[in-house]
Amino acid sequence: MFFHIVLERNMQLHPRYFGRNLRENLVSKLMKDVEGTCSGRHGFVVAVTGIENIGKGIIRDGTGFVTFPVKYQCVVFRPFKGEILEAVVTMVNKMGFFAEAGPVQIFVSNHLIPDDMEFQSGDMPNYTTSDGSVKIQKDSEVRLKIIGTRVDATEIFCIGTIKDDFLGVINDPTTV
Amino acid sequence: MSVVTDSPVHSSGSDDFAAYLNEALDENSSSSSSDEEAEGKNEFEDVSRNKRRKFESTEETEGSTSEGIVKHELVFAESSVKVDVCTHPGSFGDMCICCGQKLDEESGVTFGYIHKGLRLHDEEISRLRNTDMKKFLYSKKLYLVLDLDHTLLNTTILSHLSPEESHLRNETDSLEDVSQGSLFKLEHMNMMTKLRPFVRTFLKEASEMFEMYIYTMGDRPYALEMAKLLDPQGKYFNAKVISRDDGTQKHQKGLDIVFGQESAVLILDDTEHAWMNHKSNLILMERYHFFASSCRQFGFNCKSLAETKSDENEIDGALAKILEVLKQIHSTFFDKLEGDLVDRDVRQVLSSLRGEILSECVIIFSRINHDALPTLQRVAQKMGATCLTELDPTVTHVVATDAGTEKSRWAVREKKFLVHPRWIEAANYFWQKQPEENFGLKKTTNNS
Repeated sequence: MFFHIVLERNMQLHPRYFGRNLRENLVSKLMKDVEGTCSGRHGFVVAVTGIENIGKGIIRDGTGFVTFPVKYQCVVFRPFKGEILEAVVTMVNKMGFFAEAGPVQIFVSNHLIPDDMEFQSGDMPNYTTSDGSVKIQKDSEVRLKIIGTRVDATEIFCIGTIKDDFLGVINDPTTV
Repeated sequence: MSVVTDSPVHSSGSDDFAAYLNEALDENSSSSSSDEEAEGKNEFEDVSRNKRRKFESTEETEGSTSEGIVKHELVFAESSVKVDVCTHPGSFGDMCICCGQKLDEESGVTFGYIHKGLRLHDEEISRLRNTDMKKFLYSKKLYLVLDLDHTLLNTTILSHLSPEESHLRNETDSLEDVSQGSLFKLEHMNMMTKLRPFVRTFLKEASEMFEMYIYTMGDRPYALEMAKLLDPQGKYFNAKVISRDDGTQKHQKGLDIVFGQESAVLILDDTEHAWMNHKSNLILMERYHFFASSCRQFGFNCKSLAETKSDENEIDGALAKILEVLKQIHSTFFDKLEGDLVDRDVRQVLSSLRGEILSECVIIFSRINHDALPTLQRVAQKMGATCLTELDPTVTHVVATDAGTEKSRWAVREKKFLVHPRWIEAANYFWQKQPEENFGLKKTTNNS
C-alpha cells in the first residue's frame, strides 16, 4: 500500500556545499540518501515529493559539517500481511515462483499455487493448468495475497499465495 | 476506497485490515525509538484512524445480517488454518514459504544460487527431487553438473598474460554477440577468458540429454559472467549456476544443493578431490590450459597453447570425446538397462563402461614413483585392467618410465607393449584404449 507522509531527517552537509545553492544541494543529497531505502515502519521510500521545512543548521565542532533537520514529504510503499497486490513474475522454478511489485520481492511457493497447476520445465519454465488455459511464466502479471512480510535494511521479502478466489494470472505475456 | 460502500464483505474485511494495520505498525514501532520514527508513527496513526472512521461510518449504513455472515466466515477461515499445522518446508527471508510465519532458527540448506534468502528443508528437497526425477526419467533426461575452469574454459587475469600472449589482447571477440566468439576480454573484471573448442556444440547436444548445472569454485559474479558467455540466451543454466558462495562445505563441492537424485547425476570436473563424497558420479576431465598463467599454476613449464598460437582440436578434443561418452552412458541407462527406471543407477553404468576400457590388459609397473603408483594402479583397475606385481606370461603391457629396467627389457624381448604411465592417464581421460605406439619409451634413459 502507498502512503504519502512527512518524514524528518537530520542531514549532514559538507562545508563545500555552502553558498547560494545550499538549499538545492541539501535537497538533491536528501533524494540521493533516502529514495530507494527502506525501513521497517514505513517500507520503501519511493520518491521525495516536497520539502516541508528546513530547520536551523547546527555546526559540528571540529569538522565544520552542519546538521540540518529537514522535514520532507514522500511517497512510501509498504506491503502488509493480507494485502492483495499485483506483481510481475521474475523467475519460475520447481519450488514456486518469484515476483516483484516494484522493489518488493515476493515468493509464492508451489504449496500455495493451486493444485491443478503443474510445473513444466524447459526453456521457459512455467506453471500451467491441465487444460493449458492458464499459464504462469516469466513476465506474467499475477494478483496475489501477501501472507508474510519481513523488512531488511535494504529489502523487503514477502511470501504470497495465489491459492484463493480471484487470485492468479491477470494477463498473459504471450497473448499481448 | 469508494469500493467499500457497495459491498459489506469488503467493508468488514477492510476494517479488519485497518485494525491489523495498526497492530502491524505498533509491533514495528516498539523496536524503534528515534525522533524521526516517532514523527512518522503519528502520521501513520492519523491515516489509519481516519480510515477507520470512514469504515465505521459505512458499516453503520449496512444491515446487521450481512455482518453476521461475514463474522461467521472469518471464524470458519481461522479455524481451518489452525487445523493443519504447517511443517515449514522451507523459508524465504526467514519466513515459512507455506504459512508466512516468521521462523527464528536458521535451518535447512541455503539455495542462494536460486534466489537470495531462500532455504529449504531436507524433506522438501527430497520431495522435489522425487517429483523431478520421475518427470525427467519420463522425458529421458539425466542431470549433468559441469565445472567451469579448465573444463569448459580457461581464464586468466589480464596482468598475468605473458609477453608472448600479448597478441591476444587485439584478437578478442566482441562482447555484443557472444554466441559467435570464443576469446573474451572482460575489462571490468580484469580477466580474459577462452572457451574450450567445441564447447558450444557440446552444450547444445548435452542439453538434449541432461538437465545441466554449473558448479564452480569461483565466486558468484564470476560464475554468472561465465554463464553469460557460455549461454547468452539463458537456455541451459537458468538459475542453475552454483558458485563456491553457495556450497555447504568449504573447499568441497556437494550434490546436496543440486535437485537431482544422486543415482541420476553425472559430474564433469577436472579436480577429483573437490568431489570427495561423489567420486562415483565423476567423469574426470583433462585440464584445459590455454593461458601460460594457468600452466604455471599447475606446475607445467611448457609453452601455453596461446603462446604457440594453437588450440585444442575442435573435432577430437577432450569435450568431443566426452560428449561421445555421455551419449553412450545416456543410451545405456535408458535403452539397455532392465528394470524400473527409478531403480537404475547411473553410477553403475559409469563404472561398468569405465571397466571396459582396459578390460583385456594385464599390466605390470616398473620403476614408477612410489607416490604415484597407488593412484595409477587404482585408475588402471577401475578401467578393468589386471595389475600384477610379478612377471608372468599373461602380462600384456609393461608401464614404465625408463626403458632400461629389467621388466622393460623383458617387455621388448617378449614383444609386449612397453608404455609410459601417460598411456593410462590418456585412456582415463578419453575413455578409450590409446594406441600404444604413441606412448612408447625411448631407449635413452633421460626420459622424464
